[in-house]
Amino acid sequence: MANLETRALTKRFGGLVAVNDLSFKLSRGEILGVIGPNGAGKSTFINLVSGIYLPTSGTVTYNGKDITRAPAHLRSAMGIARTFQLIHPLENLDVLENVMLGFLFSRRLGRREARLEAEKLCAALELGNTHREVSQITMLETKKMEIAHALGNGPEILFLDEVMAGLNVDETRDLIRLVRDIAASRNIGVGVVEHVMSVIRELTHRVLVLEAGELIAEGPYEEVVKNPRVIEAYLGGAA
Amino acid sequence: MNRLLSFALPLGCLALVVALPLFKDLAPAIAGPYPLSLARSIFIYMALAISWDMLFRSGQVSFGIAGFFGLGIYGSALSVLRLGMSPWLSILAAGLFAALVALLIGFVVLRLRAIYFSITTLALAEIFRIVLHNGGSFTGGPEGLFIPKIISSDNATLYWLALSGVVVALAASSWFERSKIRFALTAIRNNELQAKSSGIGIFKYLLVAFVVTSFVQGIVGGIQLQSYGSSSPDSAFDANYTLLPLAMALLGGVYSTVGPVIGAVLLGFAAETLKLRIPYGHLVVYGIIIVLVILFMPDGLYGLWRKRARARRSARIDARMAAKGASRG
Amino acid sequence: MLVTRRSILWTVLGLAVAIAILMWKPTILVYGIERAGLYAAVAIPMALVLGIVHIVNLSHGEFMMVAAYATYFSARALKIDPYLALLPVSLVMALFGYVVYRLTIRQALKAPELNQLILTFGIAIALSQTVNLLFTGQSWKMSLSYVSASMSIGAYDFGVYDFVFVAAAILLAVGLRLFLTRTKMGKAALAVGQNAKGAAIVGIDVDRTYAFVFALAVGLVGALGAMFLTKQAIFPGVGGPYTMKSFCLVAMAGVGNITGVLWGSLALGLAEASMNGVRELRDWSSIVFFVLIIATILVRSVKEKKA
Repeated sequence: MANLETRALTKRFGGLVAVNDLSFKLSRGEILGVIGPNGAGKSTFINLVSGIYLPTSGTVTYNGKDITRAPAHLRSAMGIARTFQLIHPLENLDVLENVMLGFLFSRRLGRREARLEAEKLCAALELGNTHREVSQITMLETKKMEIAHALGNGPEILFLDEVMAGLNVDETRDLIRLVRDIAASRNIGVGVVEHVMSVIRELTHRVLVLEAGELIAEGPYEEVVKNPRVIEAYLGGAA
Repeated sequence: MNRLLSFALPLGCLALVVALPLFKDLAPAIAGPYPLSLARSIFIYMALAISWDMLFRSGQVSFGIAGFFGLGIYGSALSVLRLGMSPWLSILAAGLFAALVALLIGFVVLRLRAIYFSITTLALAEIFRIVLHNGGSFTGGPEGLFIPKIISSDNATLYWLALSGVVVALAASSWFERSKIRFALTAIRNNELQAKSSGIGIFKYLLVAFVVTSFVQGIVGGIQLQSYGSSSPDSAFDANYTLLPLAMALLGGVYSTVGPVIGAVLLGFAAETLKLRIPYGHLVVYGIIIVLVILFMPDGLYGLWRKRARARRSARIDARMAAKGASRG
Repeated sequence: MLVTRRSILWTVLGLAVAIAILMWKPTILVYGIERAGLYAAVAIPMALVLGIVHIVNLSHGEFMMVAAYATYFSARALKIDPYLALLPVSLVMALFGYVVYRLTIRQALKAPELNQLILTFGIAIALSQTVNLLFTGQSWKMSLSYVSASMSIGAYDFGVYDFVFVAAAILLAVGLRLFLTRTKMGKAALAVGQNAKGAAIVGIDVDRTYAFVFALAVGLVGALGAMFLTKQAIFPGVGGPYTMKSFCLVAMAGVGNITGVLWGSLALGLAEASMNGVRELRDWSSIVFFVLIIATILVRSVKEKKA
């Protein structure tokens, strides 16, 4: 049984259908890619799964339990974590304190324990001096901090929202290694929303392709990339 | 030596503040009845300023301090007059009463935050005032209430009573700073989405903050009533009790316990001098202070100091790590 | 306006209420509408500033108060009718609003929204206390003959002067709609309100738009201050309740919904007039708007939960 499952998930904003009839599964240890042209509904998709949006119809099931109406903070505590595309690290907390949040609230640790665990995690991710202000760290460190923050919740499922954006080749390689490691060693099911195809190709076991809010293809990268409908979605109709 | 100073200095100041009334014969200029009553007034505003900041840490601006302060005044008066409570117990009752009202209102209003919450709090003092004004003989109507006797006629006792209000506020603020609540409020203030993704139940924490701060404000109101013996709707819900604490917290430095204390001391003395010089409209200074602080010094005095301290600390760690790296070769 | 089943329902309900009031105490209907006129007129500039471009201004009512004082003293000094002073006063107020925007609000827009709240709160205090300082807390009133104009229908007499506010409200509502849809600056304001960054990218001078809108709103509210003077007594704190009620009405109606503000004002005016008409409830009439805020918040939060 998959850990996270959605059935016929639909989200409407007034007249606009952002996500339509989306069904998918994600299990621990898997790395799932989510791709699609701009406006395909990828961000809405993550928001639905993480509880920032509640769906207009359809269901979200986690470990057999229906969590469709569960609010975001409960889902974080349950084991579904995510990063944000627009970096939102909290400015009045330093790097370490940002990472501590998930430990404090989702895992309900005490301050001292949370600090120790966060320090361990930051060291494992090579985050350097964690007493720096969030404005002082590099782009790669910011991404790692975002991931560390999400991991602090102790998730079984983790969604990364365009986490590779803005990184150079070496940094991307670094992060790919990190994500693979996370999925394997912590047995986390990772959903990777990306625009960078090489990342998807290297990293993922399986890919979902969204277009205009609908799932138009699903399968390993090599298959999906040859799918004529997918090609059409990216390049536009018959030229 | 440095550590001894940073420990001994505040402790010494604290001891002086607590022991002040004992010097009334030795140094009447700073410990006589007038300075003590000025100090009491400063303590009242200080406690309110601290409580305002506690909620502000969550990103919510409350303009309703006067509302819960006034509820505390009436809560204490009514407990004594209608329930026959002892004066000391009535102060506690005042706090609980204010907290209960905050719970009920917050339950509704904290679902939509920011402007909606702030405007509602702006209206609160006025609403409470009208309700108590029209409460007939039960609430004393427009003339207000008189309690048979104030809690003590000894200046020193009254001074320590007011000081205990500050202690309550300091204890609550300290609790907020040392526990998880600090992280929750800071996260909520900075970015609610990120807070939610950390497992923080925003509504829950905001409600806690609102209720606790209103409790403090109610306690202070109770202390005020028991010190002066009477109040009326107009004086209990006077807008000064919102304006001054707000200005004090802003000037002294928001998002801290120390900041409002500093602000209260500075502006408390200023208020006293201004009131004597400018009979009408001396409050304009507070409006101007608020504008200037928000524009040019939003972190307040203490905030500026704290930023520099953090930068220094981080630089020290950088240096230490670099040295470690260098020694490893 | 769409003719939906819901709007028909509301219209029928509204008519029913109006007829009920008419049969009970007709003067209440008149006073309610007159009151509504004033509230709507004051709220519409706030709909522009808060609703369209999302600037929070807690000193809205204070600007009106300052204009009222300015009108009072210039009308007395020059021995003219306040309405003659209205245009110059509004222009001066618009200029004043522009200066306030340039000096203060422009900076606060770059910071989180709660800075605007506190800043404009400070401005409100500064304005009302300066007036207090200069003119003390005493209330001033002009006595003008035309203000006591009245009319009688059947057995009922009622004052009709206040309908001038109703006229002002309608004028402002129509004017605002035209401004937003027909003028370049108005359309720019709508764009800036929806997406300031996007508006900047397409070449709109965002700062100038904010400045213009803010100055315009202050000028309009200044004009209302001059009118306000003719009927009401003025004192430093007179503006405060209007800030709150304007905010309440704009928030209730929702972004850009000018007709909503008009209907809301009508409801508020009628509710207050009704309570004033009943002797036992008279003292509680100012609580009506508070009930309205709470109701708005409840309805809004339920709607958001569903989304």
